[in-house]
Amino acid sequence: MAQVTDWIKHLTTDVDSATEGVQVADIYPMVGTEWMWLTVAIIFWLWFHVATGAGEAEEHQKLARKRPSANDYKKNITEW
Amino acid sequence: MTDGLGALMTIFTEFYYWITVVLMFLIHVGFCMYEVGASRYKHHQHTLMKNTMLIPLVTVTWFFFGWWIYWAFPTGPGLAPSIMNESAALITDESLFSAKWYVATSNLMAVNLGDHISGVFWAAFLLFSWTAASIVSGAIIERITTFAFGILAIAIGSVFWTIDAAWGWHFDGWMLKLLGYHDAYASGVIHAVAGGFALGVLAVLGARIGKFSSSGEPRNIGPRNPWFVAIGLFLIYTGFWGFYAACNIPIFDLGPEYGMEGVTFYTATSIYVTPTTLSGITFNFLMSLSGGLLAGYWVSKGDPFWTYSGGLAGIITASAGNDLYHPLQAMMIAAFGTWCAYKLHYWVERRFKIDDAVGAVAVHGYAGVVGLVICGFVLWGYPSSGYSVGSMWVGTDYAPINPLGMIIGAIIMFGVLGFLPGYIIAKILHGAGKLRIPREVELAGLDYNILEQARKDERATS
Repeated sequence: MAQVTDWIKHLTTDVDSATEGVQVADIYPMVGTEWMWLTVAIIFWLWFHVATGAGEAEEHQKLARKRPSANDYKKNITEW
Repeated sequence: MTDGLGALMTIFTEFYYWITVVLMFLIHVGFCMYEVGASRYKHHQHTLMKNTMLIPLVTVTWFFFGWWIYWAFPTGPGLAPSIMNESAALITDESLFSAKWYVATSNLMAVNLGDHISGVFWAAFLLFSWTAASIVSGAIIERITTFAFGILAIAIGSVFWTIDAAWGWHFDGWMLKLLGYHDAYASGVIHAVAGGFALGVLAVLGARIGKFSSSGEPRNIGPRNPWFVAIGLFLIYTGFWGFYAACNIPIFDLGPEYGMEGVTFYTATSIYVTPTTLSGITFNFLMSLSGGLLAGYWVSKGDPFWTYSGGLAGIITASAGNDLYHPLQAMMIAAFGTWCAYKLHYWVERRFKIDDAVGAVAVHGYAGVVGLVICGFVLWGYPSSGYSVGSMWVGTDYAPINPLGMIIGAIIMFGVLGFLPGYIIAKILHGAGKLRIPREVELAGLDYNILEQARKDERATS
């Protein structure tokens, strides 16, 4: 899992690699699994829209059925 | 990094952009306060949450694809060849500034010991994206669904403004080459496009209930909390310092960059890699703010809302050329743009029944367009880029700044990439019944249920 287990070794490897035209500089865990994380993140993002959109529509429908007047909210102003 | 001086320049640049991001965060704090202050009591919390939630939505989509668009689209595609690879296709090859390096799975889009700039530069542009979306947010308060706003925020924040930035801001952008487009501090690239987008949405969304009388006369729905509005606008002013700084490259040796043998010339540059100074643009920022405040106070007869907005409109009008203007030019250009924005706001409101709740279309859209057009005349003949200067319509050469190019540029920003997408997406959302909240909810107040629950809680605890 760990991309780095020894900083001295890692930084030395970087310098050697750079002279060969290769940068080994990514230090986050599980290098190579970025596509998997991106897929999960995109699914979460799309799910957010669907879930919150549906919740908002339901909330609006419930409130619309109650039909409060334009000034009814004033009865609910707290003294807190 | 093994060379001390090179490391110092890199770390300085990294820290410079990081500071601009922190400062620009205040723009969003200001927009939130401003919107809540402008909305009525029964809509406060939903108004706040709508603007707050654009932060994660635009951020993640900016990471997924927005940043990639910026680096991929400078050529149009198909409109002008890149100076990097001489191809007019999307820039996705192996070249140094290719979009290939900025896909969401790239190792440059993460903690990377070999790259100190990508993250802070990405974030600086992201904060511009938030601003673009937040401009739209203010105009449409009290009647749009949060769901619809989320879609619209992503569209303007992660797609359309980034296309216009690729076209008109990127050093390889086709609008620089073919039109001589110049917009150093984003009169058009951020403000006109977001203002145009907001107008497109408003045209479909309609006015708040009660905004217009049965005979069509507009009524004033003043800010619920003018103090919140005032502090919000002061915070936006403060954040604009970061915005201006973020539009610059802090230190650059232009000698080798321009191919001048034996010449060393370290300077700050505009985003077009043309020389300017942070000191010089500080003159212009403050003088354009002042010109806008003076004009706003005068034209609105001392109305605080329009005076503060006038300061902002002034900066926005002068922004296109504030890397080169004289401070007195910046001041007078700002004053004129503010006057235009104010007059156009009320004319459009009466003529087309557009209910722009915070004057965002005027302050950002109209002022931005006026600023672009003026820039074309005042900076006529200046190079739009440092790389090469030629005549218009010749491909890889860069046209000089000129009025016609800037007018076409203003139409592209406000109309093509702003108004049209806003109108079309809003139409689609409207057709799906997702754009506007039900009439009963608008009358009752978006926060009705929250207030009712709070009242119950109060009774239960007293």
